[in-house]
Amino acid sequence: MLKIRAVWRSFFDVRPGEYLRTCFIGLYLLFVLFAYYILKPVSRALFLNKFDIDKLPYLYILIAVAGGALAYLYTRVAVRSSLKVAVAWSTALTVACLLGIWWLIGLGQAWVLYVFNIFVSLFSVVLVSQGWLVAANVFNAREAKRLYGLLGMGAVLGAAFGGTFTAQTVKIIGPRNLLLASAAMVALAYGAFLLVTIQKGVSLAGARAAETDESEFQFRDIISALKHYRHLQVIVGIIILTFIVDVTIEYQFNAMAKIAYNDKTQLTAYLGNFYGIYLNLVTFALQFFLTAAVVKWFGVGGTLQIMPVTISLTALATFFMPGVSSSAALRLTEAATRYTLNRTGMELLYLPLPADLKNRTKAFVDIFVDRMGRGLGGMILVLCTTVLAFAPKQIALVTVCFSILWILLSHKASREYVATVRNRIAARRLDLVDARVTVGDPHTIALLEQTASSENPRQAAYALSLLAEAPGYDVRSLLQKAASSQSAEVRAKACELARALNYPDLLERALEEVRTAEHSAAARLAANYALSVSDDRNNLLREFLEYPNPDVWEGAMDTFSSNPDAVADVITPGWMTDAAKNSDPRRRALAARAIGVVGDAGIGILHTLLEDGECEVVMAACRAAGALKNRAYVFAIVQHLKDARTRAAAIESLAAYGPRVCGTLGDVLEDASAPLSIRRQIPRALRLIADQRSVDVLIQALKQQNLIIRGAGLKALNRLRESAPQLDYAGQFVMDQIQREARYYFELNAALAPFRDGEHPSTAASLLAHTLEERLRQALERLFRLLGLRYPPREIYSAYLAVNRQNKDDHSAALEFLDNVLERELKRILLPLLDAPDHVLETGRHLFGIEIKTPLSAVRELIRSDDAWLVACAVAAAAELKMRQLIPDILEAAKNSGREVAEVARSAMARLAA
Amino acid sequence: MAELNIVEKVIALEGVELLRNLTPEQLSRIASIAREVKFPSDKVVLEPSKPLDALLVVVDGAVELSRDGEVLHTARQNEVLGAWALFDDDPMPVRAKTIEDTRLLRIGRDDFYDLLSDNIEITASIFSTLVKRFRKLVEQS
Repeated sequence: MLKIRAVWRSFFDVRPGEYLRTCFIGLYLLFVLFAYYILKPVSRALFLNKFDIDKLPYLYILIAVAGGALAYLYTRVAVRSSLKVAVAWSTALTVACLLGIWWLIGLGQAWVLYVFNIFVSLFSVVLVSQGWLVAANVFNAREAKRLYGLLGMGAVLGAAFGGTFTAQTVKIIGPRNLLLASAAMVALAYGAFLLVTIQKGVSLAGARAAETDESEFQFRDIISALKHYRHLQVIVGIIILTFIVDVTIEYQFNAMAKIAYNDKTQLTAYLGNFYGIYLNLVTFALQFFLTAAVVKWFGVGGTLQIMPVTISLTALATFFMPGVSSSAALRLTEAATRYTLNRTGMELLYLPLPADLKNRTKAFVDIFVDRMGRGLGGMILVLCTTVLAFAPKQIALVTVCFSILWILLSHKASREYVATVRNRIAARRLDLVDARVTVGDPHTIALLEQTASSENPRQAAYALSLLAEAPGYDVRSLLQKAASSQSAEVRAKACELARALNYPDLLERALEEVRTAEHSAAARLAANYALSVSDDRNNLLREFLEYPNPDVWEGAMDTFSSNPDAVADVITPGWMTDAAKNSDPRRRALAARAIGVVGDAGIGILHTLLEDGECEVVMAACRAAGALKNRAYVFAIVQHLKDARTRAAAIESLAAYGPRVCGTLGDVLEDASAPLSIRRQIPRALRLIADQRSVDVLIQALKQQNLIIRGAGLKALNRLRESAPQLDYAGQFVMDQIQREARYYFELNAALAPFRDGEHPSTAASLLAHTLEERLRQALERLFRLLGLRYPPREIYSAYLAVNRQNKDDHSAALEFLDNVLERELKRILLPLLDAPDHVLETGRHLFGIEIKTPLSAVRELIRSDDAWLVACAVAAAAELKMRQLIPDILEAAKNSGREVAEVARSAMARLAA
Repeated sequence: MAELNIVEKVIALEGVELLRNLTPEQLSRIASIAREVKFPSDKVVLEPSKPLDALLVVVDGAVELSRDGEVLHTARQNEVLGAWALFDDDPMPVRAKTIEDTRLLRIGRDDFYDLLSDNIEITASIFSTLVKRFRKLVEQS
């Protein structure tokens, strides 16, 4: 039984809550197709009995013209009402038309057969497209991918029953009266639709062809949408080619059949059997056994390619072996793949479009473009048969040419589909953009001048900086005014801008700012400015360095950081040595800063400063070492990674060394004897060095067992991938790691399963379950981070966020994206993990042979694992659950898993002995 | 009575509302700075006049909380005393006294801050809990 269920699920994965919805939409499609396959043989038989085959191209052209008009009328109705009302109206009109045509045929008028054929050709498109539109509003993209194969099967069954019913009943009641049976089927289809609308969770009230009433539907709206969305253009292109090929093949088939069967009765019988039995048997088999599997394995792109490829091959066969059998095979290939693989692929192609756009244009595209394709096909046939005088055999070559175009377009459709899904996901992510104000017009300038003099210091400072950048604007007079502002922030900005403009007239004001030094930022910028414009820099520098305010020292150092020669006379080795010995830590920090500017001159005092007890000094020393890039200081800097207060400076200075330090950092990262608090920070320095050597070191870190190191390495690699995408991120290695993480995920899940239910709070078993859940979350994060090294990192990150959100649509869109971008091998492993959480155990067993565990075997495996915290939790749980069989494992863990585990093991042994 | 091991400490800390969003492993880091303290019955643990510098979790035993002689609550296993003492050193306006032999876990504020400075993800989780609590209070008011 389980096996049967598994086989059924491999074909049609219907989940709880979806059964009734799927069943009634399937029934709707079945009844509509039943009605259509009554009408199709009847209309074609009556037409061919009355007219010759050469009239068919003109009929196609007529269908195109009339179809266009009906499409317009239909969309006008759809846009003004809900989908529900549109379905009700089209059903009522269809039944009325059938009754009318039934009556007119009885009058024996020949023109009625043209009208009847036009009506029949439009019938399936209007009603069937409505059915798929309802399905698109009832199921999301992920559900649709699983269920559309089943829905399509309902349609195929309807067609088969309809054809067979016609073939058997026509002899009893005659072709005309079959129209009444068809009308009854349409009424039944409407009943199924009503049952869909009352299902739980289904609300079609909001499903409209346009989102709001005021968006009046116009032909130009559709053209505009087509111009804007390349995805729609591709859809339209494929539909046109589909029907051009359909018409050329149908013509060739009818012509060959007419040659083979001179008698009109025989011809009608042959066509009836062909459409009713042969075609539907093949279609049914394709739909039941292949469509869902093909979509699953080949994706949208591959599914869409199958039809044109097979048609090309069969059409070539009809060219070399013309006859009714080869033409029938061609027609069979074309029609069967169109109703199954192509129909399903095309419906999926619509799914990533925005809902409003999808609803607004889908019916139009289905009806109008369908007709246009047939009309074009008709014109091509007229051209080929009358102007070029092609024989039916040569029409096969025309079919091949259009099929090749179709193959190319299907390939493009696949790419467009992925791009559209990707864009939808990316649109959910906020991107901060740097919005700069462009200053130029007099009105803006006046406004900024007013703001620069305003009382709000932040706005005034910003206005000053904008005016300084304005082309052709002289900001100097405003700077004079700003330098005397009450606001220190505005004065600081004035000094900063004056320095950038090399404007010396604020010197006196700046010196006064330095002397009073009431505000640290203003004093620093004033000192920096004064030294940059002064003619007597050395004396001024000496003076500044003797000031009691460290902000002034910093400002002075800022001035010369890029020009150390300018201060060589003032900042001598002797000066630096003295400053380094000063009892004031700020002075020692200044010594470190000075060394960073002028160099250590071989005096070695930076070593002392790197070991200083004050954070301020250590941070300055780290930065100085980074500026000098002297390898002698690297290990001293690395030691400061463990202290949160000095960590940022240490990371910054290590990164300043550049690629040459990567090897050394890699050694520390791999050294298991080094403190974890240092090792886990190394990737933060490496991620700032955008070089292949950083990537190589971090990739090696992924091999480590320690999850903290692995996580830190991955985070750093993700950052590097964003800042330096050109580097090589070891594709195959990453693939292997993804497999390894996925396996770990399935193993954890199997270990968690026995503890998932019956969880009691505040017990060791519940703590073990929580820990395992957390490990699963971390493993999932690492999996996505690994994917971010192989696929577009931003989109993968968005998908990760979406997968973790509670929103079903976001989750579904993320899975759809992954389904389309991941390689098949990864898809096979990762999608079941995300898409079917209820079946993860089953998938783990199938993919990796991970057996479902008992509580005892799960705890035993966890005690034997390398994860110390998990071992501790498992040991405590073993004691709590009285698992005496695990005593040898607990004793072994106590010896090998560290102090904390040993303590827990001691308690556990005492508890088990009691 | 044996000293608590790290797993037992974590189980006790799971009940602290302030630490609710932390993962078991993050709790284990807090557990590593939690010290076990034992009080005999009828011993005063908190005085309204004395500032608080630690969070206390009842491991076993019972602590009676009273104000002006009126008993407000009796805290038992896994309940917390001075939940906000880690961030606020104002004294609690209650007196806490053991009514039987009691074991408490004590997390000192200074140790806690040292831990936070090295574990930014714990800080983020605690901020998240605080923000949710404030939001709830604002919505209720």
